[in-house]
Amino acid sequence: MPEFITFGIKWLPELLKGVPITLSLWAIAITLGFFLGLVLTWARVYGNRFFYWLSTVYIELFRGTPMLVQMFFIYLGLPRFGIVFDAFTAAVIAITLNSAAYQAEYFRGSVLSVPKGQLTAARACGMTQWQAICCIMLPQALRRVLPQWSNEAIVELKFTSIAYTIGVVEITALASDIGSRTLDFFQIFLWAGLVYLVLTSSVASFLGWLERKTYVPGVTNV
Amino acid sequence: MSESLVLDVRNVTKRYDSLEVLKGISLGLNKGETKVVIGPSGSGKSTLLRCVNHLTKPDAGEIYLEGEAIRDANINAMRARMGFVFQDFNLFSHLNVLDNVRICQMKVKGADKKTATHRAQQELARVGLEEKASAYPAELSGGQQQRVSIARALAMDPVVLLFDEPTSALDPELTGEVVRVMQQLAAEGMTMVVVTHEMSFARQAADEIIFMENGHIVEQGSPDAMFSHSDHERTRAFLNVIADHG
Ligand SMILES: Nc1ncnc2c1ncn2[C@@H]1O[C@H](COP(=O)(O)OP(=O)(O)O)[C@@H](O)[C@H]1O
Ligand SMILES: [Mg+2]
Repeated sequence: MPEFITFGIKWLPELLKGVPITLSLWAIAITLGFFLGLVLTWARVYGNRFFYWLSTVYIELFRGTPMLVQMFFIYLGLPRFGIVFDAFTAAVIAITLNSAAYQAEYFRGSVLSVPKGQLTAARACGMTQWQAICCIMLPQALRRVLPQWSNEAIVELKFTSIAYTIGVVEITALASDIGSRTLDFFQIFLWAGLVYLVLTSSVASFLGWLERKTYVPGVTNV
Repeated sequence: MSESLVLDVRNVTKRYDSLEVLKGISLGLNKGETKVVIGPSGSGKSTLLRCVNHLTKPDAGEIYLEGEAIRDANINAMRARMGFVFQDFNLFSHLNVLDNVRICQMKVKGADKKTATHRAQQELARVGLEEKASAYPAELSGGQQQRVSIARALAMDPVVLLFDEPTSALDPELTGEVVRVMQQLAAEGMTMVVVTHEMSFARQAADEIIFMENGHIVEQGSPDAMFSHSDHERTRAFLNVIADHG
């Protein structure tokens, strides 16, 4: 145990340099994925046949293939057509596109669960469809989706580690690098796991707090 | 003189595939009039109300509000002047009572928060629910929810109110509080079309009762005429059924 602590004191500062990279990769991708997910949901629920079809194919494609393959394709495959991204950007794009597909799936369920009569009531008092969606549907759909969305956000936080494979210097990459230098993979990956655990549980408790804070009786069943 | 009518429904038709739900309905209301629409389930009463504010688009016919025809181009402005009260209330679940009564004023009429709040408090007082302002819909009884939805409609200063079976989803012991609010509105000179089977309300508050069946208006007349000596076998039969059940 003391050895584990002294190892940590020595190498943790270097490992922690990966935290801002991991967190920004995650935060950017999950946020962009949120908006893209909303667009996909809109296309599926309100769009015409073309948009419905496009969105459905997209969702099936990204949910049906490994994110690692998607990331390699974007980083290593697209340069053939002259489309070149740096590793961080490629990772952001891959996680965004993948997460959007999952988020859209969750949003769709929650959007469809908002009672239609309330949207009719909103239109009946003169709101535009856009106002009804923004003021009545979304506030309820987002509350209802929050538990599933939190789960997705945490899954994606862990998935940022695969960006290591294309050379993004995040937590896992640093752990691997420190491991090769110290040849103590056991201790450094234990530390890396601990760091991820702190991050995921912080995010989980923040989202849990958000859930309680936005709770409205009758909208979600907590 | 159609120009003096607040609401003028002219020859509205609506069909769903092979089913002709409205076969040319005309209906006019002067300011302050209350008309009660009755008729068996499936006769087209809800469709008629929904056609009035184009929640359902009529196939043919015209609807005029204070002499102005309802068009796609002015639909939201026209709806803002017609209150609609639904059978199952349709309050916005994520908003408390005060916000339910404020939101349309602010989003549709552009009222500032202070004005909207003041107006909302007035209307909540009118339906006897000012002390429930911070409650959420799920915390209210059905009768209270329906009264909030009436306040929500009133806060828009509508020129006409449309009620679609406002008491049908309520437990019998809760209908009274809603009917009393409607009676009070009728007495205060609100212009209203009320689809209901509350015969006490019809008798007491209606200027005219309209009996619909199979997408037609079969008969219309004063409550007195309809209840005591209807010429139509169908109307009498229907009123007997209602009297037995209600
Ligand atoms: N959206 C719709 N699609 C198909 N049929 C409908 C639709 N809305 C109503 N109808 C039919 O129209 C008829 C009249 O319905 P409605 O206006 O709700 O009657 P009421 O309110 O008098 O009970 C019913 O036969 C009903 O099944
Ligand atoms: Mg009906």
